[in-house]
Amino acid sequence: MSDATLTPAADRPAATVPARRPRWRKTLRENWLHAVMLPLALLWLSPLVWILVTSLKTQTEVFDQSAGFWPASLTFSNYPSTLSVAPFGTYLVNSVLVTGSILAGQLVTITLAAYAFARLSFPGKNLLFTLFLLQVMFPIYAIFLTNFVTLREMGLVNTIPAMIVPFVASGYGTFMLRQSFRQVPAELSDAARLDGCGHLSILWHVYLPLVKPTLIAFGIISVVTHWNDYMWPLLVTNSEGIRTLPIGLGLLAKADSGADWPRLMAGTTIVVSPLLLLFVIFQRRFIDSFMHTGVK
Amino acid sequence: MSSSFARARRNEMLLAYALLLPSLIFLAVFTYWPIIRSVWFSLHDVLLGDPEIFWLGAENYLRLLDDRLFWKVLGNTAFYTLTTIPLSIIVALLLAVAMDSKLRGMAIYRSAFFYPVMIPSVAAGMLWVFLYAPGYGPINAALTTLGLPRLDWLYDSDWALPAIVIMSIWKYSGYFMLILLAALKLVPSDLYEAARLDGVSGWHRLIHITVPLVSPTLYFVIIIGTLHSYQIFDYVYVMTQGGPADSTNVLTYYIYQNGFQYQDIGYASALANALLIAVLGFIGLVSVTLGRRVHYLGER
Repeated sequence: MSDATLTPAADRPAATVPARRPRWRKTLRENWLHAVMLPLALLWLSPLVWILVTSLKTQTEVFDQSAGFWPASLTFSNYPSTLSVAPFGTYLVNSVLVTGSILAGQLVTITLAAYAFARLSFPGKNLLFTLFLLQVMFPIYAIFLTNFVTLREMGLVNTIPAMIVPFVASGYGTFMLRQSFRQVPAELSDAARLDGCGHLSILWHVYLPLVKPTLIAFGIISVVTHWNDYMWPLLVTNSEGIRTLPIGLGLLAKADSGADWPRLMAGTTIVVSPLLLLFVIFQRRFIDSFMHTGVK
Repeated sequence: MSSSFARARRNEMLLAYALLLPSLIFLAVFTYWPIIRSVWFSLHDVLLGDPEIFWLGAENYLRLLDDRLFWKVLGNTAFYTLTTIPLSIIVALLLAVAMDSKLRGMAIYRSAFFYPVMIPSVAAGMLWVFLYAPGYGPINAALTTLGLPRLDWLYDSDWALPAIVIMSIWKYSGYFMLILLAALKLVPSDLYEAARLDGVSGWHRLIHITVPLVSPTLYFVIIIGTLHSYQIFDYVYVMTQGGPADSTNVLTYYIYQNGFQYQDIGYASALANALLIAVLGFIGLVSVTLGRRVHYLGER
């Protein structure tokens, strides 16, 4: 009662105004941010635009300084000409095969290992977990040399499995999945256990359905990494029939010795479009996957 | 009673090892065995494809210390890592802060900065060879328009490595931005509100509130960035082949040259070990210097 008399109702909104910023200031701030962000975003996008525009130009237009940015007329013939010089169809099949096999292998190994680390107790657990985590520090770029020698001794060089086997175990994936498994309430598995379910059927029927988002996130990161991988497939392949898309593109560049830019950019468009299309379609999923690699 | 309990424990243990086995086999053969083996190789004279090997002791390592090209390559690697990582993180942090303010059209901006992560390194490398072309490349054309001098970029030993750094910032900032954005979303907004009411300027809020609060993530991004910096092999292989005058030759590429072009597995292994020590040392250094100063909000 006394409160109401001390601060008349009309004054109350005024008292809260300084805390909430006026609308026009917010709009001003937004416009200012757009003025910075828009040119920056265009700058970031410009290489992509250059790939597309150049792939539709003629050779002479590329080298002519006065020709301007847009092609005088759209030259689509660069695409069939690229497809005729290199077997991109075969490359595509190989890329799908390699990336798919790596993902399938990883999903099996990380699921089993992550369950052991999350829900079972056994001696040497911490040491083994450290060994898994350390693998993240030793990517193929750091140990390719001896891996190559090993695969050579196994007689696997220049085969599809050579591109797959070094990546089947994933310390990173095991870590990610273990974190998710640990968030599954223990009561759920205890209830299933009382019903007479074994560990493996609990893993399959209780845990896996609950961690689907993590599996998808890991899957997207794995596919992007191995689909784009260049160094390892380059080292272990030397025949046309088993090469992947990035290797094919590299060879095309070498064959052209950098002169036929329109054709090369048509090839680049062909190589980058599968992932970029998936990215545009499943934008949210892609963004979420990469976003939460940091906080878990 | 107690024996059935012991049996249950033993069964659980056996099950655990069985579940770990598939991963452990692959880890052992393709991660840990190569490291042990590369130490062994580095102490020998080994030629690719030659079954005969000879004991050399520390000779490969002594040769490494005397190898002027090795020191140059190490310097290039350090230059690349120590410029690319801080610069992309600064760009990423500024972008993330701008986007955290619920900007309209944010989804479009986010994708615009993130899409380079989806581009294969070989395609990115080739594309930028074209962008950097001294005669007809768009970057030089843009410099001319701005009234700046044209550069030879990848053909100039002073500019080739910085050119790869610039490309890497374009390629990776978007990824770091996403990770930082996720961390920023967890910062309670009343902290900013309070600071703003106290009249703290935007710049000071960034340095004194945002950076300390996302420091665990910054630390994580530095580690991720270090591991991604290995990928410079792809760019060097596609764009410059280490040239001009070894100005873009980096450790991974130098290992490749010695192992695959000169077939000298022994020396290349010594180099690979030097790389691993350098990377582990760098990560160790980061964790004792920055890792200790990381601020955790609440339990995280």
